Amino acid sequence: MININAITKEYIMGDNKLLALNEVDVSIKEGEFVSIMGSSGSGKSTLMNIIGCLDVPTSGDYFFRNKNISNYNSNMLAELRNKDIGFIFQNFNLLPRLNALENVTLPLLYSGKNIKERTKLSMEALENVGLKDRTHHKPNQLSGGQQQRVSIARAIAGNPKLILADEPTGALDSYTSLEIMKILNDLNSNGITIILVTHEKDIAQYGSRIIKMKDGKIIEDKKNVSN
Amino acid sequence: MSLIDLIYLSQKSLRSNILRSVLTSLGIIIGVSSVITMISIGAGARLEVEQQIERFGSNNLILRSQSSNNRGVSMGSNSVNSLTLKDMEALKNELPAISAIAPRVSLSTQIIANGNNWLATVTGSTNDYFALGNWKFENGRKFQEDEINSGSRVAIIGKTVQKNLFGTDSPIDEVIRINKVPFTVIGLLDAKGGTAWADLDDTIIVPLKTAKQRLVAKKFPGDQIRSMTINVSSSELLFKTEKDIDTVMRKLHKISANGNPDFVIRNYAQFLNARQESSRVMSILLATVAGISLIVGGIGIMNIMLVTVTERTKEIGVCMSVGAKKRDVLLQFLIESLMISLIGGCLGIALGLGVIFGVSEYFNWKMSLDYMSLVLSFVFSSSIGVIFGFYPARKAASLNPIDALRYE
Repeated sequence: MININAITKEYIMGDNKLLALNEVDVSIKEGEFVSIMGSSGSGKSTLMNIIGCLDVPTSGDYFFRNKNISNYNSNMLAELRNKDIGFIFQNFNLLPRLNALENVTLPLLYSGKNIKERTKLSMEALENVGLKDRTHHKPNQLSGGQQQRVSIARAIAGNPKLILADEPTGALDSYTSLEIMKILNDLNSNGITIILVTHEKDIAQYGSRIIKMKDGKIIEDKKNVSN
Repeated sequence: MSLIDLIYLSQKSLRSNILRSVLTSLGIIIGVSSVITMISIGAGARLEVEQQIERFGSNNLILRSQSSNNRGVSMGSNSVNSLTLKDMEALKNELPAISAIAPRVSLSTQIIANGNNWLATVTGSTNDYFALGNWKFENGRKFQEDEINSGSRVAIIGKTVQKNLFGTDSPIDEVIRINKVPFTVIGLLDAKGGTAWADLDDTIIVPLKTAKQRLVAKKFPGDQIRSMTINVSSSELLFKTEKDIDTVMRKLHKISANGNPDFVIRNYAQFLNARQESSRVMSILLATVAGISLIVGGIGIMNIMLVTVTERTKEIGVCMSVGAKKRDVLLQFLIESLMISLIGGCLGIALGLGVIFGVSEYFNWKMSLDYMSLVLSFVFSSSIGVIFGFYPARKAASLNPIDALRYE
């Protein structure tokens, strides 16, 4: 599903060049649950942003579902994010003025689905994360776990092939974290590829494959046997 | 993303900050209300001028006698009747630009008819008086040739006189007593309505000869008259003819070019021009206010939209991460600024209507609401919104998704 060949990402900060990714190669197959671990500054977030088409590499090729998207323009990337990729963020990133249902509907708005279809898909997504009775609550009326579940519903509403979760439990207590990881696990068993970025060992253990990064390079990539 | 969804999202974010939205649109509010007021004043002035022409006839000059400063003693405006029918004939003969002259003698006197009593202004004149003054007949007829020549006691009355003497009954063929002299009513004039200074319909017209013989023999002896209405054949000749009349009259009355004349020429066009000029000045003033406030309002919108874009950078990043294209972001912010300026437009229209109502009520200025001005206001304010909203919207749309998402 994902083939990354010699991808490099450079940031220029004043006079210094910062090499966030240094010729990284990685492939991820459909249906995998990959945890990417590493300390801050290791390049794990940069890698995830490039996989999620939020950022473009300085050099190297990125094949997403056998298409070389290295030369896609911003509109094509936006469409890809809209149709094939769902994001889950550490800080949920819900729009504060919209209620849960409207937040979940947002990606469907951009894909131009009609209101009937939109509402149906969003309600299904909210039902999947167990928030059917919170559809008209604003984010600030929901607990952290509930907010993260809304953002998961937003990520899955458009039936994406790939979900990228960037420290999804970083802002949650351990009990709620467990709930969230269980949902991700369920999504994975339904065939959705999941890439999880975390620095917590026990959260990373949910993955079937763990990639460790350091200084912009992959230093370890192995199957997770404990799972 | 459909337009309805865009509008829905835009109104959500505008409503989350109503005070800011309204304050932002203040410049537009003032601009639009000025535009509407300006156009209404202009249209009102035009309408008033048209109505005045309708009332008094166009291209008319009024020549009337005036007391000359006789050995330093002003004799008062009614004390001397310096104009004569000879003057009238001379003017007619000497100035080909004059198409008609209606002479006039007048008095205010008691009218009795039908057991009722009324004080009215009685005018002695010719049939030209009706044509030049734009008088229309509701009923009856003008004077006939033999009535004019023989000094018949016939009268044509205005609406106010009819109302006070006969109520709603027809006055035709009834007898009225003017200064105790019986006259037969032969015509009833259409109503003209009042002006600020007189009720034009409170009038009675009798043939000039009849008036001079039976009503004002002492006041206007010989061929003396009070005034004449002079009609000029075209409006271009109006001001030139006014000067020519002055020249001819000075010659007839043997008054030097810089001496005090014993007559005065009134030009309605002058009055109308002054009226138009003052409304034009007012319009220019308002146009300036409108222009400045629309530009300042536009800059205000741009300023607030730039702040909004910065404030919502992260939100823009979120929208982009779930698939918003540049175009979606651009449109969303454009529609927000458009909505701010349209809110301003609507409130401005409301304020403008209030000003128009207030001014016409308290200052008795005629204001005419032009529906084109409402359309114009909408076009104005929405184009301001789009023009000044474009830069902030483009700034939002050109954000890099990951930079926007990381923005704190």
